[in-house]
Amino acid sequence: MISFPISINEGARLLAEIEQRSGQRLSACYQCGRCTSTCVAAFAFDYPPHRLMRLLQVGMVREVLASKTAQLCLDCMTCSMRCPMKIDVAGVIETAKAVADEAGLQDTERNVRLFRRGFLNNVRRHGRLHEAGLLIWFNFKTNNPMNDVKLLPLVLRKKNFHIFPPRIKNRRQVRRLFREINGSGKQG
Amino acid sequence: MSVYSYFPGCSLSSGAMEFDKSFRLVAAAFDIGLDELTDWNCCGASPAPHHWGGDLGILLPARNLHIAGSSHDSMVAPCAGCFNRLKYAQHELAHNGELRRRTERVLREPVHYQTEVLNLVQLLNREIDPGDLAGRSQGRLAGIALGTYYGCVLVRPPEIVRYDDPNNPVKMEPLLKAAGATIPHFPFKTECCGSYMGLARKEIVLQASRRIIEVTLECGIDALVTVCPLCHQNLDLRQQQINDAFGTDYHLPVLYLTQAIGLALGFSPAELGIEAHLNADVGHWTLRNDDQ
Repeated sequence: MISFPISINEGARLLAEIEQRSGQRLSACYQCGRCTSTCVAAFAFDYPPHRLMRLLQVGMVREVLASKTAQLCLDCMTCSMRCPMKIDVAGVIETAKAVADEAGLQDTERNVRLFRRGFLNNVRRHGRLHEAGLLIWFNFKTNNPMNDVKLLPLVLRKKNFHIFPPRIKNRRQVRRLFREINGSGKQG
Repeated sequence: MSVYSYFPGCSLSSGAMEFDKSFRLVAAAFDIGLDELTDWNCCGASPAPHHWGGDLGILLPARNLHIAGSSHDSMVAPCAGCFNRLKYAQHELAHNGELRRRTERVLREPVHYQTEVLNLVQLLNREIDPGDLAGRSQGRLAGIALGTYYGCVLVRPPEIVRYDDPNNPVKMEPLLKAAGATIPHFPFKTECCGSYMGLARKEIVLQASRRIIEVTLECGIDALVTVCPLCHQNLDLRQQQINDAFGTDYHLPVLYLTQAIGLALGFSPAELGIEAHLNADVGHWTLRNDDQ
């Protein structure tokens, strides 16, 4: 568990951890901004990708771990493809997100986290995704019952659409896979 | 006849059932045997690698690799997302002994993970001779401009998926050209559609997908062709939401690769499940070209 505010030493440790786990050299970034210019989601971020890289360089790890950017990155990897220094920017953001999860930071972008959690719990239960179940659960949890409901008639035109959960036989094995994830990750 | 393990994944067995339907039709037409995996599970899709430390993104597809490994030498995952997850798992299982041990603790036997994993474009390029396809095409796609939309996960990260050019992929082209379509320049082939944010952060999807549709139309393209059910959902199913949000009036059909090929082979839009799309208006192509 990380305590806040993060001390200089703790910041340096987290920085080294992000570098090591992502396998990227953060100091190689020279702020050209190409990652940001290719990013389709940057408009919804609090820190565009190049600024997130800069925050890490100057040791402002707390801002990065608690950022919307770490939660909203789509991992399309376009920035990583275009970086002139061949830094895997998406990989850095992804690692920051994992570190934030492990540190128990849960305040930013609650709905996005809720969606991911709901999706995986749905799979844990049935072995496969039950789309209708996820939609109803998510709308109920976010108090937004009409979210995407207009799409239903269209979806129902697809004859195989599962009204009831598609359950696999060996659900126990799938549940055991879920139990194999590192204990610290249960939250969020 | 070559037989492949077939991993449909959750989308193709539910919301994207028309992808499965058209795939089976095209596979049968070219004598490609498909043997669906027994009791497969969800690959974890986009949320698994982004949650709870990410290991589920390897553990879930690993079980499917293992099931496939005990039947055929090669497996096909038409969904671009499933393909990506399976390739990732394969890579990690080969290089990360600790994850492999955790997988085996659950499976209670050594994990088979070396099955060859193919995406749809790869499989069709291997099994379909373009000359044969051209010979059997009914001319319905003549004069139709198709935009080849690959999305992100089919081609990235290149060191994992090892498929086509990550910035300018081209492998759909020989198939669609053989099917009679024209393929204009389309610079947004690998632009992200907004991924899984549709429910939780809709504006990201609507904005990202709107840009793709806008550029598609500027390029004079009649329909997009994709192999990703999530891209399809964002670009087709949510197109009315895009129109509502931005005051646009887009009616751009988005087809799965096997639907486009199926049309060329003479299957009807209904047989290929195109009628289940929001923008199902491809009838006039077939009518116009069938009459001639």
